[in-house]
Amino acid sequence: MLAIDFGAEGVVVINGRLDAAEAPAAQSFFDATRGTVTLDCGGLEYISSAGLGVLLKTQKRLLASGGKLRLTGVNRHLQDIFRYSGFDQIFEIEPAR
Amino acid sequence: MEAILAVTSKLAAPFDLMSMLSEVVSAAKQVLKADRGSVWLYDAAADQLVLEIATGIAPVRVPASTGLAGACAHTRRIINVPDCYADARFNPDVDRQSNYRTRCMLTLPLVDHNDVLVGVMQVLNKADGVFDESDEALATVLAAQCAVALQRVRMTAAVIEGEKMRQELEMAREVQMSTLPSVMPEVPGYDLYGTSRPASQTGGDTFDLSHIDQGLLVVLGDATGHGIAPALSVTQMHAMLRMAFRLGADLETAFMQVNNQLASTLADDRFITAFIGLLDVASHRVRFHSGGQAPILHFQAATGTCAHHDPTSFPLAAMPLASLKPAVNVALLPGDILVLLSDGIYEYHDAQGEEFGEQRVEEILKANRGTPVAELSAILFAAVHAFAKGAPQEDDITMVLVKRLPDAAAHKMFRRSFDSLQAIFAFTADFCSRHGVDSGLLPTVDFVVEELFTNMVKYSPDGGAEVRIDIAAIAGGVEMALTDYDVEQFDVTLAPDVDTGLPIEQREPGGLGLHLIRRMVDSIDYEYSQERRQSRIRFRKTLAGPARSRETPGTGD
Repeated sequence: MLAIDFGAEGVVVINGRLDAAEAPAAQSFFDATRGTVTLDCGGLEYISSAGLGVLLKTQKRLLASGGKLRLTGVNRHLQDIFRYSGFDQIFEIEPAR
Repeated sequence: MEAILAVTSKLAAPFDLMSMLSEVVSAAKQVLKADRGSVWLYDAAADQLVLEIATGIAPVRVPASTGLAGACAHTRRIINVPDCYADARFNPDVDRQSNYRTRCMLTLPLVDHNDVLVGVMQVLNKADGVFDESDEALATVLAAQCAVALQRVRMTAAVIEGEKMRQELEMAREVQMSTLPSVMPEVPGYDLYGTSRPASQTGGDTFDLSHIDQGLLVVLGDATGHGIAPALSVTQMHAMLRMAFRLGADLETAFMQVNNQLASTLADDRFITAFIGLLDVASHRVRFHSGGQAPILHFQAATGTCAHHDPTSFPLAAMPLASLKPAVNVALLPGDILVLLSDGIYEYHDAQGEEFGEQRVEEILKANRGTPVAELSAILFAAVHAFAKGAPQEDDITMVLVKRLPDAAAHKMFRRSFDSLQAIFAFTADFCSRHGVDSGLLPTVDFVVEELFTNMVKYSPDGGAEVRIDIAAIAGGVEMALTDYDVEQFDVTLAPDVDTGLPIEQREPGGLGLHLIRRMVDSIDYEYSQERRQSRIRFRKTLAGPARSRETPGTGD
């Protein structure tokens, strides 16, 4: 129930639900990314702490090599989770319009 | 004439009766060169003449037919008596009491410009002789001015008195309303709502919905009459009932003792119709007594019709009770609604006098059986107002709705594996859509269930093969429970908060799930059964719970 792939201009597009069951697959996808990565979350309906773990691990790795993970199109529910978890201080987040 | 013009402007100022009377008297004395003066006000209701002496001292009242003043009030003509002791109508008692000698006296009727008799003015002892014809002419002009000024003050006083009365009613209303529950109790599997909308005048409605030791207390009461008294009566009953139950009374004892106490306390012409019931939420049975409160509607979901129950007794306070019929015992099946409405609804009538009636209530219940009861209540109000086409609400309207949620709970076993998550989400989503639970809650509910479930998968790999998940619809949301079998005790709700302010290098994903859950749910609790080696985590999430708004603080710092 999760689709993750590269879209136009190297943006990573994620669709569906990033839960504990999907986290391993998402992790191996992100492990292959380099530099500054923009993640289009417009189609991300749901994320659990397992999904947050994937994003955190990826951010740490990218920052260490001078890159970063940017999140765009973040919906209200996800914004709340990022804020409650303090992840809004770790990621550059662009809310959904 | 100049003298009159001079006093007229003085008469425009005062707004209280005593100062106006003293202005009038001093004006008359000045214009007519009199030694003394007094004003008798006419009390039309009692047909008496009233002499105000001073603020705080009871006025002197005499029948409007006696003495010179009475004769003047009766004829509305000026009476000029040059030698009072020679006139049979003169009462010398006043002179004796005040140690004064009245020689001559002019008595004038005070008639305002609507031809209403306001009172009678008397002036005594002209400075140099007796009152003559020119004094009479002068006095007549003056009397007209005085009458209008006095009438203005009296009417102002009536308006002020009315405002005071309104304020007192408002205070009584405040006391009455303050006893009503402001928050509905939460009962899993039930949807409860009570509300009271006062009419413009204080009526005497009350209701109660609250958890007490004996069960869920359900009360609707309606005291006779309007004004302050019924508001105070129902407030009294409300408090007495709470106290009786707090002291451990059962339904019968509470009903009888409160009735008997009210019967000895309230005025003989006052009584209170009241439904007093106890809901046992485990057996779904309501036991109730009703003192003259009817109709009691029991909407039955299976048939879509209402059963009607009669009162078990006469209204409270009507007379003491020595014994009581058995209580009515009603079983609420899934989807059933106990409907208690004060007669303000049934008897609300339109301009032609047609009443809203029971039939319309029943139709609305049938058409809106799936609606949350708070909304159902709003629909009933709207229907009544539409029916009345602008006719004013004459009585308090109070509603108490107790609905057993239809097929309110479900449960299912799920294999202890991350792969079960899909099935769990589907189970939750399906339940919510079938039971009208707001789908906006789903992302949060899923999040919480996933965190709790994956914790069980990760930390109790040797537990039972399956985890049980229960879900129940509650007012405005869901209550869910995850039960883990054959496991050690481990209270995840005690896991420490995460320091969300740490720099990224020090952040770890562990523990974040529970940190977040605590900020998302209305409540969460853990229980462990030693004998069955069984852990159960239960949480509630409702729309009224922690808001998902940007304003919510909760970054954990």
